[in-house]
Amino acid sequence: MKNKLLQKTRYWYILPLVLLLLATGAHAQNGNIKGKVTDEQGAGLPGVTVLLKGTTNGTATDGTGNYSLNVPGGSGTLVVSFIGYQTKEVAINNQSTINITLAPDAKALEEVVVVGYGSQLKKEVTGAVQTVSAKEIKDIPVSQITQKLQGRVAGVQINQATGKPGQGMSVRIRGQLSVSGGSDPLYVVDGFPITGGIGALNPDEIEDISILKDAASTALYGSRAANGVVLITTKRGKMGQTNVSVSAFGGVQQVPEKGRIDMLDAVEFATFKKEYYEAEGKPVPEVFQNPAQYEGKNNDWYDALLRTAPIQSYNLTVTSNKDRVNTALVLGVFEQQGVVLNNKYQRFSGRLNTDYTVSDKVKVGLNIAPSYIFDNTPRTDGDRGTGILFNALHTWPIMPIYDANGELTKSNTLPANTGNIYTYPNWVRAAEELVNENKITNLLSNAYLEYRPIKDLVLKSTINIELYNNKFFFFNPSTATSSINVTIPTTAVSIRENFSNTTWLNENLATYSKTFNEDHNFELLGGFTNQRFRTDRTRIQADTYADDRLPTVQGGLNINRGGTNSGVDEWALTSLLSRLTYNYKGKYLFTASIRSDGSSRFGSNNRWGTFPSASVGWVVSDENFMQNFSKLNFAKLRASYGVTGNNNIGNYTQYALVNNTINAAFGGNVVPGAAVTSLANSNLGWETTKQFDIGMDLGLFEDRVQFMYDYYNKTTTNLLYSVQVPQEAGFGNFNDNIGEINFWGHEFAVTSRNTEGKLKWTTNANISFNRNKVVALAEGINRVYGTYHITRVGEPFGQFYGLIKEGLYMNEEDLRTSPQVPGRSTVGSIKLRDVNGDGIITNGGDQDDRTIIGNPFPDFTYGITNNLSYGKFDFSIVGSGAHGNELLVRHLYSTANLDGVFNMVDAVKYRFRSPENPGKGKFGTTVGGGNVTGIERDWMSTHFLEDASYFTIKNITLGYTFGAVNRFFKSARIYGSVQQAYVFTKYTGGPNPETSGNTAGNGDGGNLSQGIDLSNYPVPRTFTLGVNVNF
Amino acid sequence: MKKSYIITLLLSCGLLGSCGDDFLSIVPETQLSSATFFTKEADFQQAVNAAYVPLRTITNNSGTAGGAWILGEQHSDNTYYVRNPLFGATEQEEDVADFALPEANGVTSNEHVREQYRQDYLIIARTNQILDLIDKVEFGADSKNNIKGQALFLRAYAYFELVRYFGKVPLHLTPVTNRSEAALPLSEEADIYNQIIKDVSEAIPLLPLKSKQEAGRVTSGAARMLLANVYIVQKKWAEAEKLLKEIVASNEYSLIQNYENVFSTSTGNKNNQESVFEVQFLEGSAGLSGNFLYHFIPRDITAAEIVTITGTTNPQPLSGEGYNIPTPDIIAAYEPGDLRKDASIAYITLSNSSRLNKTYPYIKKYAKPHALNNNHGMNWPVYRYSEVLLFLAEALNEQGKSGEAATFLNQVRKRAGLGEASGDLREAIYKERRVELAFENKRWFDLVRTGRAIDVITAYGNRIKANPQAYYYPEGRTPRPHAFSNIKVFYPLPADEAALSPHF
Repeated sequence: MKNKLLQKTRYWYILPLVLLLLATGAHAQNGNIKGKVTDEQGAGLPGVTVLLKGTTNGTATDGTGNYSLNVPGGSGTLVVSFIGYQTKEVAINNQSTINITLAPDAKALEEVVVVGYGSQLKKEVTGAVQTVSAKEIKDIPVSQITQKLQGRVAGVQINQATGKPGQGMSVRIRGQLSVSGGSDPLYVVDGFPITGGIGALNPDEIEDISILKDAASTALYGSRAANGVVLITTKRGKMGQTNVSVSAFGGVQQVPEKGRIDMLDAVEFATFKKEYYEAEGKPVPEVFQNPAQYEGKNNDWYDALLRTAPIQSYNLTVTSNKDRVNTALVLGVFEQQGVVLNNKYQRFSGRLNTDYTVSDKVKVGLNIAPSYIFDNTPRTDGDRGTGILFNALHTWPIMPIYDANGELTKSNTLPANTGNIYTYPNWVRAAEELVNENKITNLLSNAYLEYRPIKDLVLKSTINIELYNNKFFFFNPSTATSSINVTIPTTAVSIRENFSNTTWLNENLATYSKTFNEDHNFELLGGFTNQRFRTDRTRIQADTYADDRLPTVQGGLNINRGGTNSGVDEWALTSLLSRLTYNYKGKYLFTASIRSDGSSRFGSNNRWGTFPSASVGWVVSDENFMQNFSKLNFAKLRASYGVTGNNNIGNYTQYALVNNTINAAFGGNVVPGAAVTSLANSNLGWETTKQFDIGMDLGLFEDRVQFMYDYYNKTTTNLLYSVQVPQEAGFGNFNDNIGEINFWGHEFAVTSRNTEGKLKWTTNANISFNRNKVVALAEGINRVYGTYHITRVGEPFGQFYGLIKEGLYMNEEDLRTSPQVPGRSTVGSIKLRDVNGDGIITNGGDQDDRTIIGNPFPDFTYGITNNLSYGKFDFSIVGSGAHGNELLVRHLYSTANLDGVFNMVDAVKYRFRSPENPGKGKFGTTVGGGNVTGIERDWMSTHFLEDASYFTIKNITLGYTFGAVNRFFKSARIYGSVQQAYVFTKYTGGPNPETSGNTAGNGDGGNLSQGIDLSNYPVPRTFTLGVNVNF
Repeated sequence: MKKSYIITLLLSCGLLGSCGDDFLSIVPETQLSSATFFTKEADFQQAVNAAYVPLRTITNNSGTAGGAWILGEQHSDNTYYVRNPLFGATEQEEDVADFALPEANGVTSNEHVREQYRQDYLIIARTNQILDLIDKVEFGADSKNNIKGQALFLRAYAYFELVRYFGKVPLHLTPVTNRSEAALPLSEEADIYNQIIKDVSEAIPLLPLKSKQEAGRVTSGAARMLLANVYIVQKKWAEAEKLLKEIVASNEYSLIQNYENVFSTSTGNKNNQESVFEVQFLEGSAGLSGNFLYHFIPRDITAAEIVTITGTTNPQPLSGEGYNIPTPDIIAAYEPGDLRKDASIAYITLSNSSRLNKTYPYIKKYAKPHALNNNHGMNWPVYRYSEVLLFLAEALNEQGKSGEAATFLNQVRKRAGLGEASGDLREAIYKERRVELAFENKRWFDLVRTGRAIDVITAYGNRIKANPQAYYYPEGRTPRPHAFSNIKVFYPLPADEAALSPHF
């Protein structure tokens, strides 16, 4: 019954299409006028609209710019219009041949904005859309487009969580966060919502980028739009021109000394250990009796993993738009070696975009973009035991990297009485000898057929295909390991994993645009789309190799059953969409849209979701009463409201799955066992976000200063969450749509041409304030604990949760008169606040002393870009920052372990030793062992939190342009740049205050537990020299 | 042309089959889902197999999961731990052994308590699923009865553990299908016992004798023993006597003459003539192996030292704390000449020890040589025939039939190389149970059911505090100030569960 109803309501989508069909009327003609429309260089312009003024009688020029039009009576005026050119009116005056030259409309060219399923004049946009053109960001020497966007866009926080080449960018539009669904925006490349992320896309292929922020702009993407949409348009030829350009840059990257974690060196470490045993009243183990013996014998394991590494990039771009054919070819080679040993990222990419104007009614096009990526990344990132950078950090500096013969040691361990509890392998070997590589082939293609049955109607059908294949290969030879406590030689292990993804999308769109009575401009869009995705995965894990040189599958003596498996993931999406745009004189603007998505991911009772939106705009500056404010040349007010969804809820989450590998043994035989391991939910659906946006755009002093402001307020409901259930049910979780989170914020952006003339100076600046509050969680649940976080109704989500450190118990008096951890607190140990006032300190449960102690989200984020040019010199400086967020310095649980089992941060030298020698108050006494030191180390408290506000000079570029040198070189430019030039921060927990790792575990969803610094791959400083030549 | 284009456009929906629900119905291709499972005999066979699996976790304890020996043995005067002050993060085990569980509002954050609770409910959920669906599918009666009997036994066994550890717990008897059904109110102890008795009574006629059952699965004998155990806890001596005598009369079980040979090795001697029910482990890479022995080894221990216990080809040193170390109390509980003492306890000297004589006892019962480090196949005994005899002796004696009781007691004593029992027979039976069943997770339950737990543990705590070094503390180290401050007969319920349940 419900299904039927839903289907019924879908029929109205057909209406626009039917209307469009009816609108295609024929008309009689006589009295022929012909001619050619050309640009200022004399090249024919195809597709130009030629219209008899005040009628619907019109035509379009053919591929060479020629037209012919029947005009009864031979009188009247021709209106000749073409996007990017100034519209021209020519009186006919009985001429039979009228040739027309159109002048480009520079202003209009700049101001066309790509929006969902079309484009609009910037002036008429009613949603919150920000654009970045490739020109603005061309010099940033990085592998990914998202890196280039850092600091550029108001309301978009782009963080580089790890410095791994080609990886680790987090993009969050308007602070949108799903609890457990994905939070990345939807990337749409040339109209195709891609599934594989945009890491494989060569930034040089991009012409411009539109970032759709409010629901009115994104609602046409329906159930995938809640995180915002990034529209990427790739290069096309410029009308009538052929351009060839070559660009190249090369440089070096290194990890700055500033920001690295200051650790004890060998002498200091041995001194700490000596003092430790003396304080305990224990004999000092021999290796620590004379710390001075380690003078000049320090082993900096972290530094040993780093190197200075090269980066280089080459691109050839050819574009041509002549004689009905518009072509763009981009070939690119990019190679970035990592600043961590044995890390390399290479990309070979090509793109060929072709549009062919068959006739004035038919146009076809094909974009095809293959790429190949090779990437070998040592296992650098992760918590203790998994990430070699973290592992290296806490390895004892008295353990030798090289043996007496200058060979890399295999592993290091010291007698148990030294307090060494782990066998440490040689991390340099772990980086250099382990293979951890991805070989990715990717093909992105779009094909379309566009048909214009009548002047005002465009029908377009597209087929888009994305093929992605990743061959992953991991090999751990017997001589190395990336894990703690593995003795060498170890068991050699190989893993091969192949992913093969196929996505296809068919879209069928009709656009009807018409102006009535000169002032009423309508555009009606209708269409339907189908998309399907499938991934096939095969994984084979083999181990116990006789010979490390032959890591084949058959070379392993054992196939690891648990690590050998295959899988399939599939989803399908069927959608209907429509949009009406209307404006009166370009002054009063109105847009409404609706999309309905049916998804295989949604439960059978909840298959279709509908996502409507509406927006209005008022160009106030076009009103007569504004003519007095001559300084204000442009002013527009906008308001929008819409509903969007997030369908990143997993492909089969609605089903109860049976695990049939819960095996048992009887009588010495393995017998198969099976159990239902999750609960079904046939009501499962998308996350819904309802967003209200109000904004304005101002232009002052003939657009010398442009200003944009937006306020948004959105509410996300039905969050997909794996709700913890009491395990008396036999299950840990139930996948459900729960809760409500409110987000709101302000965004400001300003562009100012400060000086013009010979010295041109432009400043772009933006600042964003994003806030959120949890309004509701699941019924009966008002908080969700993570290991270090809490998400609680009435608070922003994912807040740091723990105890408040008051300091240390400075003496017996202090200890006696303060609340203690029963049986554990001593003089010199950490003193925590008795929040619940029960006289003792407790950690765990709802009634303990933990409270919200910090916020991983910034108060505001900002970016500022200055561009200067003087004559042939240009200079730019880009900065971005965040303020008021905190990071959990996770490594301290190892690197400030006062039991001395790991190497420690330098600051433990200033620990508590006695009431007379209390140190600096950060680190407590070592005496008493884990029963005492464990409180400081193992209990989450403000001890681990640090303010991670930062401002980073992302890029500084200085360039020089040569004019036309000869008839081959149109222009050339050379430049030098510094990327990640300097980080201003007080944060001491690690080199990258942008980092945000998260831990997995009970109650820890990715987004619920942000802001953890695991000492990930540092972001290098990069110095490059580059050249661009146009032929 | 244009018309046909649009018609094509409109029709492609139908032709591609793209708009309908067929296009949108995608079921997982590489995983079974509940919609297609539980439709044939083999499905139920696999389901009951999976219901045994949590028993491995419970008896083995890897990391923070499970912990029958932590909750049932080290939480008594039989075993303690080897304190290693250099090694942190050991409170979870120590808090149970020290009777210092952090407790607030009747709940505790202790992980072992939590995992014991969760693993028992995993058995209950899996068996509920079977019992709910099995009668809706047609297949052979013998097989169906056998599977139902096993499921009923396992559900009862899990509730019996829960009711003895916690007292009142939620009583789930049907599968949970959505979130609102997940939490139930705490049921009275009496109601839980009634359900256990109902389930096991139903299981007994459904299950085959041990000789007719696949080795390692529960049998009618095991079910009778479980029910007898329940009756003994309830002091229903006559009911227990009847069941225990049925087991004796079945001639399915007998004592193994040499006590040392009673326990399974890593690869053999499993489910032997004395075994009534044991948890099945399998050495090797199938993921069914145990490593409990490694928790029971005092530390720090070198590779050369550990190999004398484990006999593996790839011994690895162990640091941290050793657990389940026999106390001086249990060592003293063996009478002179008791053959079981040397079969149950051995000693090792550790070169890295900070203890004066560097020597520690360890549990020898389970220390069987095996092939690979941290991977062994010894089964864990749940019920043995000697316990059948001791229960029978107790049941008879409590009914005043002390003469008959002594004959069963003395069968067990004779095998241990001891003469007939003397003195108070009730005390003699208690003492006999302690040494015969040492380290088999019986001690704590025995102390509780006989009403002696508080007194015995209080005295035990005082002995440790008076002489920490005798209980394996390094020189100069003393028990934590709050040791033995929370001695209760029931464990508090797990805090993580309380946080999710509106009922406690």
